Amino acid sequence: MRRIRACLLQGGLFAWLLGPGALMGAELPTEVDPAAGVIPVGAVTLQVEQAPREQEMLDVGLAIFDPGIPADPSTHSRQGIFPEIRKAEAQYIPVLLRNALQNSNAWGVVRVLPDKQAAAELLITGRILQSDGRRLLLRVQAVDATGRVWLDRSYLDEATEDDYPVGPARDPYGDIYRQIANDLLAARRQLDARQLPAIRQVALMRYAASLSEDAFGSYLQRDPQGLYSVVRLPAEGDPMMGRVERIRNQEHLFVDTVDEQYVNLYEEMAPTYNLWRQYGREQAIYQQEYEAQAQTRERYGRRGSFTAMEQTYNMYKQIKIQEQDLDEMAQGFNNEVVPTVMEANGKVFRLSGTLETQYNEWRGILRDIFVLETGLPAGT
Amino acid sequence: MKLKNFSSHSLAALCLLCLAACGSQEPRSVLNQPASAVDLSGFWELNYSQSDNIQARLNTLVRELRKRSGPPSGPYQQPGVIVSGPGGTNSGASIIGLAQMADLITQSQLLEVEQDKHSIKVKRELDFALTCEFYMGEYQTVETPLGKEICGWSGHQLIFKTLLPEGLIIQHVLTVGPDRQWLNVATTVTSDRVTSPFTVNRVYQRYQPQDNGYTCKMTISRGRVCTTEAQ
Repeated sequence: MRRIRACLLQGGLFAWLLGPGALMGAELPTEVDPAAGVIPVGAVTLQVEQAPREQEMLDVGLAIFDPGIPADPSTHSRQGIFPEIRKAEAQYIPVLLRNALQNSNAWGVVRVLPDKQAAAELLITGRILQSDGRRLLLRVQAVDATGRVWLDRSYLDEATEDDYPVGPARDPYGDIYRQIANDLLAARRQLDARQLPAIRQVALMRYAASLSEDAFGSYLQRDPQGLYSVVRLPAEGDPMMGRVERIRNQEHLFVDTVDEQYVNLYEEMAPTYNLWRQYGREQAIYQQEYEAQAQTRERYGRRGSFTAMEQTYNMYKQIKIQEQDLDEMAQGFNNEVVPTVMEANGKVFRLSGTLETQYNEWRGILRDIFVLETGLPAGT
Repeated sequence: MKLKNFSSHSLAALCLLCLAACGSQEPRSVLNQPASAVDLSGFWELNYSQSDNIQARLNTLVRELRKRSGPPSGPYQQPGVIVSGPGGTNSGASIIGLAQMADLITQSQLLEVEQDKHSIKVKRELDFALTCEFYMGEYQTVETPLGKEICGWSGHQLIFKTLLPEGLIIQHVLTVGPDRQWLNVATTVTSDRVTSPFTVNRVYQRYQPQDNGYTCKMTISRGRVCTTEAQ
C-alpha cells in the first residue's frame, strides 16, 4: 500500500497559494513503527498432523479480525490506512488463516465467524496492526472454551520481490498463517488427552448456559483465575440438552451459510487485492529509490515540453485511478449485504443487514425459540 | 452568467453565505467544514459558451509575457524563444506545452461531486477524482513519491493543489455561484520552464442525470449490482 505522509496544517490563510515552495519544507509528524521489536516469521513450513485422533480435533471459531482503524479519522492518511480496504482485509485475512488451519489437518470444523462466539471450543481473534504491500503485522489471540489462553502475540511477515506477482492460490504473507497454525498446533500438543474432551464439554455447557443460565449455569464453575470447568453433566439423552444441541447446530448452519459468502469475497477480491499490494510495495520501494531513479529515468521530452509534462501527469493519473478503483472496490465489501434466508422450527426467517447484524439477529431468534420451547428464562 | 462577471457573482455568494447564518438555506454549511464551506454536491456538465477558450488564453499569456520582458532582443533572440525569460525559460514549446497541458487536464465534460461532513470527492469524467478530507480549520496534505496534494477550503472556495515532479504544479479552485446552479473550476498550470502560470476557467452548470429507473451499487462478489427498487 502506498506510503503516505500527510500533515494537517493549521492556519487561516492559504500561504501555499502564493507559491510552490511555501510548503515544501513543512514538517511532517514522526511515525512510530508498529512492528518495532517484532521478529518476522521468515520462511515457514506448515506442520501437518499425519494421524489425527477424532477426540483431539477441536472445532475452531475464527472471528472476523478487528481492522485496527484508529477512531480519529484525521490520522488515517498519515498512517497509510484506507478504512474501506482495511475493513475488507479484516474479512480476507481470517479466510487465509482458516485455509492454513484446515491444511494442517489438526482441527475439526474451522468456521469464520461474523462476530465473536464465547462458547467456541477454540476462538481465535485478531487485530490488524499494519497491512501493506511490504508488511503484514497482526496481533493474534487464541482462547479455548475454558478460558485458557493458547497464544497472544504479534506476528510479522515481510514480503519480498519473489512474492510478486502473486500466483494462483498463493499469498505474499502465506508464512504468517502457517506460523500461526504451527503455534496453535504446538499449543494443542501440550494439552493431555483429558484436557481436550474437557474443552468440548465446557464449550457445550457454556453455550447451553448462554441460552438459559438458570437451567445450565450450575453445571459450570469458574476458578479464581477465571477458568471454566464442568462440575457435572446432564444425564445421557437429556431432552433439554437435545434442544441445546439442535439450537447450536442451527447457529452453525447460519455460520456455514455466511462462510460461503466470505469465501466468495476472498476469491473475488484476491486478484485485485494482490495487484494493490504489489503496487503498494513497488510504490514504497520507489519512494526509497526515487532520487536515484529520477537521475536516470528515461524521459520522452525536454523538461517543460508538453510531452514531458504529459508523461508526468499520466503517471500520476494512472496511480490515482488505480488507487481510487481499489478504494471503490473496498467500499463494495460494505455493500455485501446479501439477505440470508434461514429456516428454523418450521418458519422461514429473512435476515438482512451486515453479516454481523444478521448473525446476531439469528442468534436472537434461536434464543427466542429456545425460550418458547422450554419455558425457561433466557440466558444472559 | 458571463465568465468575466464570475468574480462579482462569487462575491455575491460570499454575501449570501453571511446571510445564510440568518436563516437562508442556500448555500448551506456542512459540519466539520469551515462555516464558509458550501455544498457542491450534485451533477455538473460543462458549459462551453461560458468557459474559457484555450487559444484566447494562450494569446493573453504570450502578450503578458512580452509586456513583462520589455522590447524584443532583435538579432540576439535565442532560437525558439518567443519571449525571453530567466534561465532559458519561456520557449515557444514550453508556453504552448503549458496551454496543451491545461487543455488536457480540463477536458472533463461531466463532474459528479459527493460531499459529506468529513470529505468531498469530485469525480471527473476521463480523469481521476479529486478528493479531500476536512478537519476543523485544517488543510490536508498527502504526499506520495509521485506527487504532493494539498486541499482545503479557502473561504467558500475549495482548492486542490498538486505538486508533481519536474516543476509541474496543477491547481483547481472550485467556486459555486450564488444560486448554486453554476460551478466554476479555475485550473492553473505552472511549469518552472515558463515564468507565468496558465489559468483556464471551466464553467459547469447543474444537471439531473436521466432517471434510468434503476440504481446501482458496487459489490465485490457480484460486481455492480443494480436494482429497480426505490432507494
